[in-house]
Amino acid sequence: MQMQLEYFLLIAAALFCIGIYGLITSRNAVRVLMSIELLLNAVNINLIGFSNFLDPLGLRGQVFAIFVLTIAASEAAVGLAIILAIYRNRDTIDMEQFNLLKW
Amino acid sequence: MLHCLDQTVWLVPCYALLGSILVLPWSPAWGRNLGPRPTGYISILLTSLALLHSLLALSNLWHSEPKYIAWDWLNAANLNISLDLELSAVNVAALVLITGLNVLAQIYAVGYMEMDWGWARFFALLNLFQAGMCTLVLCNSLFFSYVVLEILTLGTYLLIGFWFNQSLVVTGARDAFLTKRIGDLILLMGVVALLPLAGTWNYTELAEWAETAVISHQTATILCLALIAGPLAKCAQFPLHLWLDEAMEGPMPATILRNTVVVSTGAWVLIKLQPVLMLSPVTNQVMIAIGAATAVGASLIAIAQVDIKRSLSYSVSAYMGLIFIAVGMGYTAIALKLLLIHALGMALLVMSIGGIVLNSISQDLRHYGGLWSRRPISGIAYLAGVASVVATPPLGAFWVLSEFTQELWLLRPGVATVIIFVNALTAFSMSREFCLIFGGKPKAMTVRSPEGLWALVMPMMILMGFVIHLPLLMGVMGLLPNWQDLNSVIAGVLVLSTLLGVGLTGGIYLNDAIKKPIVLPNPGIQDFFAYDFYTAQLYRVTIVFVVNLVSRLIAWFDRFIVDGLVNFVGLATVFSGQSLKYNVSGQGQFYILSILLGIALFCLLITSPYLLQ
Repeated sequence: MQMQLEYFLLIAAALFCIGIYGLITSRNAVRVLMSIELLLNAVNINLIGFSNFLDPLGLRGQVFAIFVLTIAASEAAVGLAIILAIYRNRDTIDMEQFNLLKW
Repeated sequence: MLHCLDQTVWLVPCYALLGSILVLPWSPAWGRNLGPRPTGYISILLTSLALLHSLLALSNLWHSEPKYIAWDWLNAANLNISLDLELSAVNVAALVLITGLNVLAQIYAVGYMEMDWGWARFFALLNLFQAGMCTLVLCNSLFFSYVVLEILTLGTYLLIGFWFNQSLVVTGARDAFLTKRIGDLILLMGVVALLPLAGTWNYTELAEWAETAVISHQTATILCLALIAGPLAKCAQFPLHLWLDEAMEGPMPATILRNTVVVSTGAWVLIKLQPVLMLSPVTNQVMIAIGAATAVGASLIAIAQVDIKRSLSYSVSAYMGLIFIAVGMGYTAIALKLLLIHALGMALLVMSIGGIVLNSISQDLRHYGGLWSRRPISGIAYLAGVASVVATPPLGAFWVLSEFTQELWLLRPGVATVIIFVNALTAFSMSREFCLIFGGKPKAMTVRSPEGLWALVMPMMILMGFVIHLPLLMGVMGLLPNWQDLNSVIAGVLVLSTLLGVGLTGGIYLNDAIKKPIVLPNPGIQDFFAYDFYTAQLYRVTIVFVVNLVSRLIAWFDRFIVDGLVNFVGLATVFSGQSLKYNVSGQGQFYILSILLGIALFCLLITSPYLLQ
């Protein structure tokens, strides 16, 4: 079976959807962060797929993907720190407990 | 000098207007320690000046041609309203009549209003009346006649409502204002509709226009019916006559003026409009029908009254009905003479009974009796008044009524019969009042009833002298028909009708064999006339009921439908704000979901054309 760009894009889109699903439905804050990682990975797949099929000489997509990885790592670090800070105050990481708005 | 007086006769209304302003400082609220009396003296002085001025002007103008004066009142784009005045013998004679009667009524009021504090208001209003009526008779423009009629309507409201702490006064003033207002408003429709047709409001030009006017039958009918509606209410004709009955709640001196002159203002406008009214034969028939119905109906009602003032007020309606007939048949000269005679005679009658009411307190005819030996002056004045109003040969109304009947006899024998009948009924009702007041034995209310003060008796005597000399005066002026021209049969029938009426009352009310109060075999009919055909109830179940119902419906509609609709918009906004705020759920993940949904929808929207292909 010939590998085609569309398959990569579909995989990435599926991964993105799964990530979105996890992002919206998870109650655990760490799983939310993990879902964000899934989203970023889906983006990376897109970047690398496009790089390989459309720009095999320039490799620009791959450089972008490295940047995304880097930023994802730092964002995960900041996100975990925020969750830790909230956990210290509220003793929970349940997303539905972080509800300061009154109706 | 004298010539200058008839040039400036238009100043006559200004005297009274000045008077009505000058007396105001004596009103109790302003001049706290002045007392009310000077207001009366100022008014009498100014009115006498007006009378003198008009008399001198009349003597100058008697044989001269009418003069016309006009001022521009308003010049707008295409509309030019000018205040036209006509200075003719008839107009100035009317001025003399008005100012003369007002002087007498004011002297009378000085005696009658002795125990009253409200002289400033009273005399200010009397002067306002005088100013209004003088303007009305001078002005030669339908538009300004309407203006003055409305001012007089307001004056009537204020004057009837003089003793406003009495509840019947308040309702009476209300009815007088609204009833006359309705007539005036319909008159306004006619006035406004007349301008595009005739192009002028000047009576003289209207008469010229009416001679050659070609307008459709229907237009003429509607126009003329609207034009008679104002005088209809002013003259207290059926069916707008209830106000005059309730207006009897006002002070007696004002009644003198109102019963004689103010009701005549409507007739004056009617006479002035007669050339225009001739355009529509239907309207003339309507006028004759209304006049005849009022004349007969009101005379019958007058017979069934127990209140002396009200009994006379229905006779006023009846005589105004005769004037309606006269104008409807086109006899303006007869209508004018009838107005003059009726004004003087009726003023004398009201003055006479005013003095009796003042000293006997009651107005109820059933409480009177046996005053002839005690109060001969009032009695003679009353008799003179009756004799001048009904057909009694040497005195005023005989000449005019017989002339009128004679004219009508060949054209409309039915209407002529109505006049003879009304004459008999009026003779009956007025002599019934005489017999009840002056005849019989004294009753509790009239055992001690002295003749009035000089201020009551003097104007009455002066007026009586004038009433008695009126035929002579009219003869000198050439206003009476020639003796030879009179049809002796018709004149005889008229006199016979008077005698019949008077004799019948004498036989009934001066005869002790008949039990008083008289009860008819059928009390229903007696009540029917005594309660004025139940007109008050009739108003209440027709016009008042409908207007009341519609007002309530509209108020309800306003309150709940219109207001509700606007309030609903506000309420819906508040409610939607209250409910939509729950979209801000306070959950980060929900926000992300809504962002995504938004993006997805947006993308769908953008790509939908392609997707559909």
